[in-house]
Amino acid sequence: MTPDVATPFPLLSLLLWLPLGGTLLCLLLRHSSNLCRWISLLTTLTVLVVALGMAVSSIGGSGWLFYEDAAWIEPFGIRYTLGMDGISLLLVLLTALLQVAAILISWRQKQRPALFYALVLVMETGIIGVFLSLDLILFYLFWELMLIPMFFLIGVWGHENRVYAAVKFFFFTLAGSLFLLLAIIWLYLLHGGQTGDYSFALDALRQTVLTPGQEMILYIGFMLAFIVKVPLFPFHTWLPDAHTEAPPAGSVDLAGLLLKTGVYGMIRFAFPLFPAAAQKSLPFLAILALVGIFYAAWIAYVQTDMKRVIAYSSVAHLGFVILGLAAWNQLAWEGSLLLMINHGITTGGLFVMIAMIQDRSGTRELGKLGGLWTVFPNLSAFFLLFCLSSLGLPGLANFAGEILVLLGAFKADPLWGGMAVAGVVFSAAYMLRVVQSALWGESKKLARNDDLAVREWLILVPLAALVVLLGVYPAPVLEFLREPVSLLLETGGMP
Amino acid sequence: MTLSDLHALLPQLILALGATGILMVGAWWPSRAPWVLTGVALSFCAAISAGIVLPTVTEVGGMFGVTPYARFFTILWSILTGLTLLLSLRYAKVHRFAGAEYTALVLFAGAGMSLLSAASSLVGLFLGLETFTLVLYILIAFNRGEAIGAEAGLKYLVMGAVATGFLAFGIALIYASSGSFHLPEAMHGLQIDGQMRPLGLLGWAMLLVAIGFKVSLVPFHLWTPDVYQGAPAPVTGLLATGAKGAMFAALIPLFAALGTLTLELNAVLAALAMLSMVGGTLAALPQRNLKRMLAYSSVVHMGYLLLGLMSGGPDGQRAVIFYLIVYGIATLGAFGVITSFAQADGEPQDYETFRGLGYRHPRRCSALSAFLLSLAGIPPLAGFFGKFGIFHAALKSNHHLLALVGILAALVSVSYYLRPIIVLFMQERPAQRLRPGCTHEFAVLTVCFSLVLYLGLYPGPLLELISQILPSP
Repeated sequence: MTPDVATPFPLLSLLLWLPLGGTLLCLLLRHSSNLCRWISLLTTLTVLVVALGMAVSSIGGSGWLFYEDAAWIEPFGIRYTLGMDGISLLLVLLTALLQVAAILISWRQKQRPALFYALVLVMETGIIGVFLSLDLILFYLFWELMLIPMFFLIGVWGHENRVYAAVKFFFFTLAGSLFLLLAIIWLYLLHGGQTGDYSFALDALRQTVLTPGQEMILYIGFMLAFIVKVPLFPFHTWLPDAHTEAPPAGSVDLAGLLLKTGVYGMIRFAFPLFPAAAQKSLPFLAILALVGIFYAAWIAYVQTDMKRVIAYSSVAHLGFVILGLAAWNQLAWEGSLLLMINHGITTGGLFVMIAMIQDRSGTRELGKLGGLWTVFPNLSAFFLLFCLSSLGLPGLANFAGEILVLLGAFKADPLWGGMAVAGVVFSAAYMLRVVQSALWGESKKLARNDDLAVREWLILVPLAALVVLLGVYPAPVLEFLREPVSLLLETGGMP
Repeated sequence: MTLSDLHALLPQLILALGATGILMVGAWWPSRAPWVLTGVALSFCAAISAGIVLPTVTEVGGMFGVTPYARFFTILWSILTGLTLLLSLRYAKVHRFAGAEYTALVLFAGAGMSLLSAASSLVGLFLGLETFTLVLYILIAFNRGEAIGAEAGLKYLVMGAVATGFLAFGIALIYASSGSFHLPEAMHGLQIDGQMRPLGLLGWAMLLVAIGFKVSLVPFHLWTPDVYQGAPAPVTGLLATGAKGAMFAALIPLFAALGTLTLELNAVLAALAMLSMVGGTLAALPQRNLKRMLAYSSVVHMGYLLLGLMSGGPDGQRAVIFYLIVYGIATLGAFGVITSFAQADGEPQDYETFRGLGYRHPRRCSALSAFLLSLAGIPPLAGFFGKFGIFHAALKSNHHLLALVGILAALVSVSYYLRPIIVLFMQERPAQRLRPGCTHEFAVLTVCFSLVLYLGLYPGPLLELISQILPSP
């Protein structure tokens, strides 16, 4: 069935290709770093405005809010199919928002600015493409498109150990995704052999008749790619290195957005395509998620680098998200997706702030920091807010998602819920340690002692406002999630 | 030979007679750039004539086909010859190559390749193959003064001579078993219950050894790194793309004609493909020299191509041809970048000389990175759809294990393809500036780069074209 929403203007394509246009402009005008800076800021802002406009215009809508379909590579039956439902809409909004923050935080990029902004913009196209694609090869292309820019962002602009981290990141994700490619091709051949219609369209491939053995192998092929990206314990080892070594914009993109593509891949592709195998795997997912929550919290507690603490906290939070998915009910899924968005904003905010702190103090080491509150009251207040949100303080963003996940998990299995609650306590431990050693205590030597500048206010205020807003009133977000989530749970998504 | 036969062979005649003419006139009028440019013009004339002149016969002399398939490859190799010559313009000047001789030899190589791709009998195959192999013996050692070049030439000569021996003996055995050189009649000796079957199979096995040498499949690949390293970069580009590609182009109809007659050989083929993918990958990993790395990586690519060839059917054939093209473009581009950096005292090959060069020469280094990533099969570059096609064909014909080995090799290959990119862009050291490029070099690189990008984003038209020219089984 072709969805009845036919927009005369290809808004989805506009959203998708705008950043790439910005990239080309940046590369053409690479000799003027000031111009590049403004081009990239304007590009990301335009994407944000377009995405917001699309969100406003589709309040109360149902089905595919936007949909585009065109022939692309006909000999293989590959099509250019984009679709946006509530879930992808929210994730695209998150992407657009965090990219503006990423550009603003790298405003003073000194080293090869044009190339830097160009790569950040390519990332944006890749991420938005992943959230919109409904053709498996198109999805795979965007999935891989996120790889190269991030590799360069880490490898060229990263910190001390950058090349090692970049290569590790590239390998882990590519290892997962190559199996995904093999699985996609096999599924395509099975479907084509059964129906004679060789197509990579998601809704067509969902009709493939599979034996349980085939379904399980294919499901594992898909999940390997997504689990590595999320990352679920024990596939998380690339993440701390990548997050720590990446430049600020890269960390924001990695934690805020890239991890979400893994979860999105699961709910949009892996679960609907292989529902029976997915059901069988849920207990394993829940166990891995729970182990991840505790393990990551434990490791986070002993880290001395702030970025590493936040990196491990991401593993723990994504553990909650996966636990919610494993609970497999409306409440938990809504919670998972909400947590995902809130985690993106909170962690994005934290990485932005760590960059600001490093700017001023010259270090991210907890042992060398201290007493920031007395020198930078405004900055410290924001930092405290994000930290509190991250540890799940009621009334702030992360709590709203976590509580829904916990409720859903209790519904599915009280044991899961009970253990996860204990995990929340753990996360309080390591976050409070960060707050304690960075904000309170003796003041240490600082490189600069000016508080927030206008540009920094501009980044922080919207993020902080969202943290509070989504914490006290997440209803509008949940409204967008309700219908797509129930469809995904019941029938594997819209046709 | 009738007039219509000559008419049908027009492109090859343009190349071969043009080369002869350049050689003869060049002896009286020594010059460099004009001759190289004449060669470029002749190559493109040949490509155009292959494209627009419709032959009235389907076969010439019972040896060479003039089917759309053969004409497609004639166009391809003519363009390749032209681009190689264009690329060599400055290189030939810096290294004081004799212009007329060099141009003539490259044109002969082009004619040989196009004859090999068009071969419809085993004699044609032999003739085509030897034409360009003989030429390459000379071209590889064209830097007479350098020991490394001479060594490469000698290695290729010895290995090539052994391979030729196998080839001739294999063809003789096949002829003895079937009484015909012509395809597909030469397969008759292989009838399942035929008396001559053992002889025929032995002949095919020998043929396979010769082919293994020519396209450098493991365990016949040992000459590859030294020859790649020692040969002048444009010649290496020609060797890596055209010489190997023409062989595969000839193999496609050969395998299609073989059909199921050689099931015994399938295990051998599978072993060759697997050994090439694994062995090439392992050998490429520790390389610190760009040309040697590309040599070993080409072994891996030949393994993929063999996998596609074994998969057979229209899908497999289409995948092999598409892969050949995208592999050829990226390889030519990579050697083109090396060529453009070349100076009188040698070519930059060691990674050490590339350190931090990415910001000194951003355009060429970005292009080199794109070519390497395309070879690694990273989307959105052309190499991705090449690999995609091969795996698609392999899974379709139930070569699951080989496809899995191929995927793992592709994963590991990223490691050796990323290393030069890391050296170029992620290692800070004020590298000395290398040569600024010339316009004609940039033109070739731009063509390759655009094609790598275009075929990665929109491979549909080329795939359709290939489907139309496939030889009928």
